[in-house]
Amino acid sequence: MRSEALVLPMPRIVLREETDDWAILFDPDTAATFGVNPMGVLVFRLLDGSRTVRDIVAEIRERCTDVPSDAERIVGDFLEELVTRGMAELRTPGGR
Amino acid sequence: MMRACRTPRNVEICITNQCNLRCTYCSHFSSEGSGSDDLPTGEWLAFFEELNRCSVLEVVLGGGEPLLRGDLMELVNGIVTNRMRFRIQTNGLLLTLELAASLRSTGRCHQVQLSIDGSCPEVHDHFRGDGSFEGVITGLRILQKSRLPISVRVTVHKRNVDDLERIATLLLEGFGLPAFSTNSASYMGLCRQNADEVQLGVEEHSRAMEALLRLGDRYPGRILANAGPLSNARHWLDMERARKEGLDPFPDCGYLRSCGGVFSKITVRADGVIVPCVQMTHIELGRINRSDLRVLWQEHPGILSLRRRWDVPLGSFEFCRGCPYIPYCRGNCPALAYTILGVENHPSPDACLRRFLDSGGKLPRVS
Ligand code: SF4
Ligand code: SF4
Repeated sequence: MRSEALVLPMPRIVLREETDDWAILFDPDTAATFGVNPMGVLVFRLLDGSRTVRDIVAEIRERCTDVPSDAERIVGDFLEELVTRGMAELRTPGGR
Repeated sequence: MMRACRTPRNVEICITNQCNLRCTYCSHFSSEGSGSDDLPTGEWLAFFEELNRCSVLEVVLGGGEPLLRGDLMELVNGIVTNRMRFRIQTNGLLLTLELAASLRSTGRCHQVQLSIDGSCPEVHDHFRGDGSFEGVITGLRILQKSRLPISVRVTVHKRNVDDLERIATLLLEGFGLPAFSTNSASYMGLCRQNADEVQLGVEEHSRAMEALLRLGDRYPGRILANAGPLSNARHWLDMERARKEGLDPFPDCGYLRSCGGVFSKITVRADGVIVPCVQMTHIELGRINRSDLRVLWQEHPGILSLRRRWDVPLGSFEFCRGCPYIPYCRGNCPALAYTILGVENHPSPDACLRRFLDSGGKLPRVS
């Protein structure tokens, strides 16, 4: 996914935090769930339609320590997965 | 102690105290709150917004008979708008093709649960009332035609214990259902007044276990049970084998750990009072739209006390003293411990293997 891609969660998707800061994303239309780790939770919360992949990674670097050097690829893969699962949509044409 | 979710995952609500039947073993009627007026639509809709904020995934609509509510679809749409799925527990008599089509069109109906307790009117209607078999079978056909997900529950009692094979044939072969579940009429609600007439005696319980295990072999994975004779048969055979062979303790056994419900779900009575479980309506935790559900879930002493059961060893009860099954036992349902003994945090005599054997009960033979 390109650095300037904009991704927006589908409004129906529920972020449900469980114990220990892990969470699940739940699609009430299909009952599908997708487990996400604390970093995934943070990324999901940052998907407000104004932040690109690059912006999200910059925000993470500001908030967290020990962010891996390939964070942009990791975040991009995560967002790609959300789009594939129908839990989010890509807002920039050709943004992949 | 096992950790609870931050908020309940599943909320069961009794949307009405009205019912078009009066089944002899109904666990609803005569329980706390069952005589009150129903809440107006707006109260439930406001509550669904709170459930959305709490990221609740599923609402179970029960009663009484939920299909008696004229605003049922308005409530269902409130659930859908608030990003949840739903199930309905109904006696099936009021289902119509139009209603089934509306439920299906939401795309969020996880299941419609029907109760079918006999293979024919003589058996099914005995405790549920004349015409109820015909009504529920028509309801089942409507659900199948509408391609809604169906679950069928068979409550085993004195009058259908010898009909189980025919019930399985009807449901699994006649209707081609993938599975059905079983439990038994237990000492709750109206059943308490009619226990001798309805509940399985020790000998009938043994017969029901034999029959259901046999059917389970014939229809692998298609006869389910979380309680009642089939569930007991499966657990008790494992417990007896473990005792004989001196096996290591089973996971999560030796403590009052049978009920995990209080870690993930909660119930609301038809009068809006929040309780831990549909079977424990006497423990009042708060009221919808007045209590903060998240705070109540995390802090209410009534719910915390039920969660602390998990740390209570069975060996600490006089009831279990000297029992060789302690390392393999979880102490059974707290709601039944309450209705039978008047205290939740105690092993329930209802599914106690030692008590069953002491009363002359026989474990099923295994081939
Ligand atoms: S068991 Fe169900 S159908 Fe029967 S009286 Fe109770 S609520 Fe009504
Ligand atoms: S007495 Fe009954 S409840 Fe207690 S451990 Fe033995 S079998 Fe379980």
